[in-house]
Amino acid sequence: MNWVELISMVSAGNYNEVESILREYPYIVELADHLREQKMKVIENLGTYVDITMRNVEKLGGHAYLAKNKDDARKIAGEIVGENKTVVFSKTNAAYEVGLREYLESRHNEVWETDLGEYLVQISKGWPTHIVAPALDMTREDAAKAVRKIDPSINENSKVEDIVAAVRKFLMTKYVKADVGITGANAVAADSGAIALVENEGNIRIDTVMPQVHISITGIDKIVPTLRDAMDEVMVQAAYAGIYPPTYINVTAGPSSTADIELKRVSPATGPKDFHLILLDDGRMDASQNPDLKEALLCIKCGRCYFSCPIYRILGKDWVSTKSPYNGPTGVMWNYITNKDPWPASYCVHSGGCKEVCPMKINIPEVIKYIKYMGSKNL
Amino acid sequence: MKKQEGLIRSVLYKNLMEDYTPFPLDKKLAVKWAAGLNVPRGGRVIIYTSYMYQMASVFKSYEKYVPTLGSLGKSRILASIGSRFIKPSDEDVERSVKILQNIYRMVSRVKADVGYLYEEEPYSGSLLYELGFLDEFKEYGRKVLQFFREKGVEEIITVDPHTTNTLANLKKYINFDIPFRNYISMIGTVKGSGKFVMHDSCLYSRFLDMYDTVRDKAKSAGIELIEDPTVTGKGVGFCCGGPVGPLNDELSNNIARARAAALKSVYENVLVACPLCYVNLEPYCNVRDLAEVIE
Ligand code: SF4
Repeated sequence: MNWVELISMVSAGNYNEVESILREYPYIVELADHLREQKMKVIENLGTYVDITMRNVEKLGGHAYLAKNKDDARKIAGEIVGENKTVVFSKTNAAYEVGLREYLESRHNEVWETDLGEYLVQISKGWPTHIVAPALDMTREDAAKAVRKIDPSINENSKVEDIVAAVRKFLMTKYVKADVGITGANAVAADSGAIALVENEGNIRIDTVMPQVHISITGIDKIVPTLRDAMDEVMVQAAYAGIYPPTYINVTAGPSSTADIELKRVSPATGPKDFHLILLDDGRMDASQNPDLKEALLCIKCGRCYFSCPIYRILGKDWVSTKSPYNGPTGVMWNYITNKDPWPASYCVHSGGCKEVCPMKINIPEVIKYIKYMGSKNL
Repeated sequence: MKKQEGLIRSVLYKNLMEDYTPFPLDKKLAVKWAAGLNVPRGGRVIIYTSYMYQMASVFKSYEKYVPTLGSLGKSRILASIGSRFIKPSDEDVERSVKILQNIYRMVSRVKADVGYLYEEEPYSGSLLYELGFLDEFKEYGRKVLQFFREKGVEEIITVDPHTTNTLANLKKYINFDIPFRNYISMIGTVKGSGKFVMHDSCLYSRFLDMYDTVRDKAKSAGIELIEDPTVTGKGVGFCCGGPVGPLNDELSNNIARARAAALKSVYENVLVACPLCYVNLEPYCNVRDLAEVIE
């Protein structure tokens, strides 16, 4: 099956799945509408919300940093991690955006992606194809070929279950010796400094609890006013990604803690002794002040717009990647915000499907038209 | 690509500002449909083709023509038109004549004295808008508005989605204040037949809120439409590939091929309501325009 056939099949599957989720759990649409309003409040006042969030992270005994750009983010994370450590990553777009894995590797750290798709991309030295399913373009045979590098018992006839088990076995040896766990955050609650993460594999749960240091790196656009909004965001994201209920939702509020003795909350307890939140600006603050661009910051990275996009469905990761971990319609917007690169916008055929399926009701074609226009000024 | 975009902008802009057309075209062919019907010249209410049906095949191949247009002087371009350079085939011309005549007849049943600007008709500027050349789009839009005013035009009837969407955006950007309507939303009872899968125009369905309008018109005429929500649903309707044609013909064709395959998986005969959708999908499936199957 070639890419075009594969993505047509996957897109139809996603469409049916999301539609059936929305029928079965109609409250999701209400949550999405409310979430849009809440996120807009943050975008209108991003600087203030960044300050509140950072204060509340510190109040919980965590450490908060604002990274202005990619370089800044790499340096902050690099100093926390140090050298010669074992680091387990869960899928984080912000880390991709700043090139964190490669940076930490260059500082003599052993770094492993633990999300299965991301791990397959890592060992095949590829680039994520889709924001929710990074190895979407890999067949079972491709995955087997990649995994054979770490487990010779895997071959082209291996079943999917066997491939998954081989990766699990390999990653277990890394989890137990990991010094640092690095995750992203689907949402960051300003009111409490807590982060929320949604997943199905269980790797995020391990990454955030087993290593003694947990670093979360995420964009400032992920800040929402309250922890309740953060929970809404993970539920909406999971539903529109087509997997609902999600297997796991994780909340991390500071380093591990206990109040078992005299009801006095102390840290650390069993889990990480240090929690670091790196909030990444990298163009987002500017975008929040640009009326033509700011709607893009509402994106919750559910990846649904990719499936509605004719250009993505033909070009796949050759469209925006490997300049950005963000692809498809949202990738055109995010590649512009974070890399100031307008050119992928030129291919937009304004089919408009993206805006119809977006849970945040972002007028994506309108934002892309602005980006096209900005590009045309430099012709 | 950047070079191609730059070239298109200069060719387009130059031609539009000088001639009101996106490329030098044979206007005799473009107005042939109206001459046959004795459509009044000008008037308060006009039908506005913007050359879309007549020149659809040329629009499709714009990528091919642009480098040559960019390097040729105007007199040489005009000379080459005379020698069959930038010209739709006879078959395409005949088809567009029939379609536009049919649209005109359907419109005339509900609106009397609809005129046409013939050779003087200006192109709407769709390409400028769709390629993101917004400064040029606004400038040219003002020129078009002024032209319509000078001609005493008080109401416009559009026949395709691109022109309709362009006027909607001129209204938004430069306060284009001449009322306009698309023919599908104004014609009365029509008759038709056949069984099709509908390929929606992106602009009608997702920008002009006409997803149901087009379907209702086809169905009330007696046409049977086969639906599959994963192929014909509003959010997954896909594109024919047309808009990226001027920049990358191969990509445009690949989109058309993929779209046609999806449509054919629903039903063998495809219905469109846009001249660009027709030229893009036609190499890959059996396709008819709405104005070919209703009357
Ligand atoms: S733009 Fe909308 S549909 Fe696309 S990834 Fe973001 S939230 Fe999802």
